[in-house]
Amino acid sequence: MNDIQRDLRLKVRSDPKLLSPVRSLVRSWVASWDIDKKIADEVVLAIDEAFTNAIRHAYEGRCDGSVELTLHAAQEYLEFQVSDTGLVCPSECIERRPLQPPEPDELQPGGLGIQLIHKVFDEVDFYPGSGGGNCVTMKLKRSK
Amino acid sequence: MGLTIDKSQSSDGSLIRVVGEVDLYSSPELRMAILKAVPSAEGGLAIDLEGVTYIDSSGIATLVEGLRSAREHGTGFTLVAPSPAVMQVLELARLDSIFEVR
Repeated sequence: MNDIQRDLRLKVRSDPKLLSPVRSLVRSWVASWDIDKKIADEVVLAIDEAFTNAIRHAYEGRCDGSVELTLHAAQEYLEFQVSDTGLVCPSECIERRPLQPPEPDELQPGGLGIQLIHKVFDEVDFYPGSGGGNCVTMKLKRSK
Repeated sequence: MGLTIDKSQSSDGSLIRVVGEVDLYSSPELRMAILKAVPSAEGGLAIDLEGVTYIDSSGIATLVEGLRSAREHGTGFTLVAPSPAVMQVLELARLDSIFEVR
């Protein structure tokens, strides 16, 4: 897809303080399509999680990296892409695992964000970015 | 919208009231407040989440860590009036059943 065919592209510094305005933008863009409120909330969360992962893992918490968000309404899907130019995340970190209520003694809070992304979207693809770093594309069926 | 954290003590135990958005930016402050309050929380620690408009996985992880810490200290850990925003994420993460909610 050519750049101009995408609805919206945003380049954001990898600063956690900017997560809130990014969520506002995603929320209002998703609301402009006929998406159920509950699903829209989950999409905002999952995009936030993809951003958070880039900040925490690709840039190890540094605020001087950049994270790029692309939003596009295709015929059948709303498509989201989050990419960074930081450290490549190991493949075992981005695998889908079932979310099960954990036993009290083995509560492991880590890795939850990735699992939420897998749960919210119909299609999720993680791959290395073209210029290094990571890229994740997430698709939501519009007929939901 | 930022995050406001208020601590209070009553005969029922300690209460931390959280209002606003809990995300990667604000969850470290909540984490510090909870982990600091747990050891001295006589009668248990309650986290009031009625005013939470947004929570992400780092916020949920903070609550899980608080629960673990409270168990280690042999004290109670309760979520009070979690907002729909909080319940939605807890249910999505399938972690709603591990917390005591009132």
